[in-house]
Amino acid sequence: MYLEIITPEKIIYKGEIDEIVVNTADGEIAVLPHHVNLFTKVMPGEVTLKVDGKEQYLAITGGFLEVSKNKATILADYAVHAEEIDVEKALEAQKRAEELLKKKKEGLTELDFASAQGELRRAILELHVASRRRHHNRPLN
Amino acid sequence: MASTLLLLRRIRTAQNVSKTTRAMQMIAASKLKKAQEAALSSRPYVEKLSAVTKDLTKRVDSSSLPAYMKAGKENGKTLTVVISPDKGLCGGLVTNLAREVLLQTTKSNVFLTIGKKIEGPVSRMESQLIASFPFGNILPPFNVVYPIVQIINEQFLSGKVDKVEIISTHFVNIFVQKPQLTKLLPLVPDAITEEESKSVKPDLADAFQLFEPDLESILPDLLSRYIEMAVYQELLESYLSEQTARMFAMQNATNNAKDIIEDLKLEYNKTRQAKITAEILDITAGAAV
Repeated sequence: MYLEIITPEKIIYKGEIDEIVVNTADGEIAVLPHHVNLFTKVMPGEVTLKVDGKEQYLAITGGFLEVSKNKATILADYAVHAEEIDVEKALEAQKRAEELLKKKKEGLTELDFASAQGELRRAILELHVASRRRHHNRPLN
Repeated sequence: MASTLLLLRRIRTAQNVSKTTRAMQMIAASKLKKAQEAALSSRPYVEKLSAVTKDLTKRVDSSSLPAYMKAGKENGKTLTVVISPDKGLCGGLVTNLAREVLLQTTKSNVFLTIGKKIEGPVSRMESQLIASFPFGNILPPFNVVYPIVQIINEQFLSGKVDKVEIISTHFVNIFVQKPQLTKLLPLVPDAITEEESKSVKPDLADAFQLFEPDLESILPDLLSRYIEMAVYQELLESYLSEQTARMFAMQNATNNAKDIIEDLKLEYNKTRQAKITAEILDITAGAAV
């Protein structure tokens, strides 16, 4: 099955795959080749791709999955390959966001709060996916 | 003579101006390149998103239309979002935009402006200005869209306005940037003519489609995403136009400054020569006596 993962910035993934696992509102679903036409909302979390028996992980902050005529497209708000996640940066982002959230009472606007919250969620998600990838490829010493 | 000194000063001024405009031209050119890349890289996403939205909005039952697609109660109020740059020196771009705003809108419109340059003209129109955002000097990041969309939602979904439109400068090509009005809300599933709808419908019925959990709960999310993207596209388009217009305006300014320098230099040399000739005449006349 052909898969494309597209974000507003760029096309993250393009190619033949054997299986996709995504989070939806009702739980995790796996899509195999020749799946019936499907449209669903993807929840923030991990996307697992199986290519030639190997698994690949991506962190995704939500979007939509469309399957039609054996072609799948994920329209993602933001997605990143597990190998590309910069753990240092994610940790830093988490710290920064947490600090912002602590300051909430000191006259932070609703928008700042929401964006800090979003950033925190994204950082946690990236760290989670990154740690899983490490676990699979080379165990942490 | 005082006039040579004056001319020298004017030459120096013109040279300084040409240096500045040349630098601004180069800055605009490099920003333009980035803006073009951004517009190109978001294109696959936008195309897919609008294709999906078009497809799904056709499937939705007219009885359970999401709020974004419902036409308002016809109170005749329109929210106009106007997008302009923060800075001038970009040729006729802002003037053209302001003219388009005057042509396309009436006093009863409610305005939301993005960009400092259009704030003035709009506030002088005696219409209601509900919010004004700065545009910034850099390529707008995506999160600037959220507060804008929030206000649009507030106005539209509460029924304060029954239409939302955007006026921004569209990038036609590198030489032409045109102010243009785009209708944003209510979303109309691509005005299909009778004939077309007949030919399309059997096709849709054939293509079985599963929705998870169901179409009615997905659609609002999809549409709000679509609106965010539509607003963002307009911002990108406006930024691209601004940089292109500035690049050409500054190129013209540099060329004009160079012309002026040429003219002034010629005049300076002539005056200088005239002075020397006069001096030589004086000396030879003195020697003859």
